Amino acid sequence: MGYRPCGVYHQYYSQDHAWWQTKFVWGKMTLLFITIFYLIPQFAGMYLISVANVVGYTILAAMGVQLLIGYCGQITLGHAAFLAVGAYTCTLLMLQLHIPFLIAMIIGGLVGGLWCVLFGLPSARVKGFYLIMTTMAAQFITVEFFITQYISQIGGRGVAFSIPPGTIKIGPWVIKTDRDVYYLMVILVVLCTLAMANLLRSKVGRAWIAIRDNDIAAETMGVNIVLYKLLAFFVAGFFGGIAGAFWITSLAAVSPEHFHFGWSLWLVGVILIGGVGSIYGTIFGSLFMTLIPEGLKFLIFFLTQSPFFVNLMPFLPHLLEKFLYVKEAAFGLAIAFFLIYEPNGLSYRWWQIKNYFNLWPFSY
Amino acid sequence: MVLTDEIQLKVENIHMAFGGVQALMGVSFEVKKGEIFSIIGPNGAGKTVMLNCINGLYHPQKGRIFFEGKEITKLKPYQRAQLGISRTFQKIELFKGATVLDNIRLGRHIHLKSGLLSGAIYFGKTAREEVEHRDFIEREIIDLLEIEHIRDKIVGMLPYGLQKRVELARALALNPKIILLDEPLAGLNLEEVEDMARFILDINEEERWQTTCVLVEHDMGVVMDISHRVMALNFGEKIAEGTPPEVQNNPHVIKAYLGEAEEIYVTRR
Ligand SMILES: Nc1ncnc2c1ncn2[C@@H]1O[C@H](COP(=O)(O)OP(=O)(O)OP(=O)(O)O)[C@@H](O)[C@H]1O
Ligand SMILES: [Mg+2]
Repeated sequence: MGYRPCGVYHQYYSQDHAWWQTKFVWGKMTLLFITIFYLIPQFAGMYLISVANVVGYTILAAMGVQLLIGYCGQITLGHAAFLAVGAYTCTLLMLQLHIPFLIAMIIGGLVGGLWCVLFGLPSARVKGFYLIMTTMAAQFITVEFFITQYISQIGGRGVAFSIPPGTIKIGPWVIKTDRDVYYLMVILVVLCTLAMANLLRSKVGRAWIAIRDNDIAAETMGVNIVLYKLLAFFVAGFFGGIAGAFWITSLAAVSPEHFHFGWSLWLVGVILIGGVGSIYGTIFGSLFMTLIPEGLKFLIFFLTQSPFFVNLMPFLPHLLEKFLYVKEAAFGLAIAFFLIYEPNGLSYRWWQIKNYFNLWPFSY
Repeated sequence: MVLTDEIQLKVENIHMAFGGVQALMGVSFEVKKGEIFSIIGPNGAGKTVMLNCINGLYHPQKGRIFFEGKEITKLKPYQRAQLGISRTFQKIELFKGATVLDNIRLGRHIHLKSGLLSGAIYFGKTAREEVEHRDFIEREIIDLLEIEHIRDKIVGMLPYGLQKRVELARALALNPKIILLDEPLAGLNLEEVEDMARFILDINEEERWQTTCVLVEHDMGVVMDISHRVMALNFGEKIAEGTPPEVQNNPHVIKAYLGEAEEIYVTRR
């Protein structure tokens, strides 16, 4: 929207409002859809598909964080709590009440949204630092307290709720292999991205951006800022709940460790690296934060296989052993570097490249 | 000019203090529908505070405000906007990272209906609504204020004079019944001042708009030219009110501006 190659003009506003304004973009998007819906599931190996699923899960989970931080200017440091609420609501509804997965997932999203609104209420009065505290409280109250202490005891199943294989199905479609999860993931990612992008080009999204940029001006122009902040928390929690409910399809058992504080922080890192205030940013950040560690692991693994490199760098096998910590440390560094050298995130680079080619060959 | 005798805005005995600073002390006035009502006064007189009280950003400690017969003293700024009170700011308050068009679109907020669900789906209702309002913005506002060439530009990158114009455009998009203008001419060059003064007259006089204007301005030349009535404030108190010549010749006003004598008449023209 807004950016089109020079020389393209429109006759109707509806054309100017369309996303894919040129044949070229249509072609590109068609290729993308063929790739994600057909080529990847057909030809990629099991390992790649499982990595893709993690990417998709990260996109879904980070979408709400992006909405709150990137588009509405509200901070959330406890988003894993809302993922957990979605996951547990969905699991419990399925296991205890035998509600079909799809409905349970939607209810999980709604409950996640309402739960998020609850912790967004202080945003009516406080900003910045204090909001960090209340959203962190969401993490500890929800996951470490309610879920670990009480919810996990429901049904006497022990701490983890195991989901018997074959329980999760949509109509006749039983979701059990990674490939099934992949298809579900792609559908959800496309739907959530569309919903988010659509909101941002209509009344509600513009009100969010206005609150982020200048809340006083927004209120002066008739935006009920408390209401719209809470709507932002609701939608962010809804996306979170859907993400959590989706992820149970690839978990054998749901337990609180899947929604720890580190994951909340990780999601903030995703949007910082990808780009704050950009949907592309969410996607790039998720790709980067998932693929680079996998690549790194691969590289270290590859290097340890050859005696030459092990002699050169005797700490390699140790690195592989402790990879989990290496990964976290590497990402701490990555975020620091990004904040210093690329404060606008990957999406900004992408935008620059795209703009360059839109004006090419006269780039002034 | 369709100046009526109908009182649109009534401000009654406003007292507003910040800690020890008395910004307004018992100010009362009435604005008639269709007029250009100017508030003048030296720096720190309380003009901006007055506008903030009318539009609800500040809540006075004492006094009442009525808009079209309805008391609005307790209403929040967004509720007053919904009644048709719009404004611009002395220090530009735009959504800097957004395009000109998106800034103006936000001005349409109170007239848009799409909610969460229809917005997320977009196709159908919301798409139609967006096109309709885009049409309105292009026809009524962008055309009037002559900003066709910058509609897709990011506001933060525009020169100051154009930003002022975009702010006016956003305020107009609300389709207001009354518009509060806080120093719309400050910082503009001669040509821009002339344009802006013309826009204010257009908004006030054109059949389509006929919007009441409350104008806070230091440029006496323009104020005396275009206002129907003028009120002068000094240290939070009303010292004069009347037609431009009456106020200009009022001894209190002359005294208040004493020492600023050159500033008052030699501003840019
Ligand atoms: N938010 C605030 N907190 C404390 N004092 C304030 C506040 N807003 C205004 N004041 C004080 O109120 C007085 C009136 O200020 P105001 O901004 O209304 O002046 P003004 O008439 O608009 O002047 P100018 O022509 O310089 O814009 C000043 O003494 C100012 O310091
Ligand atoms: Mg002022």
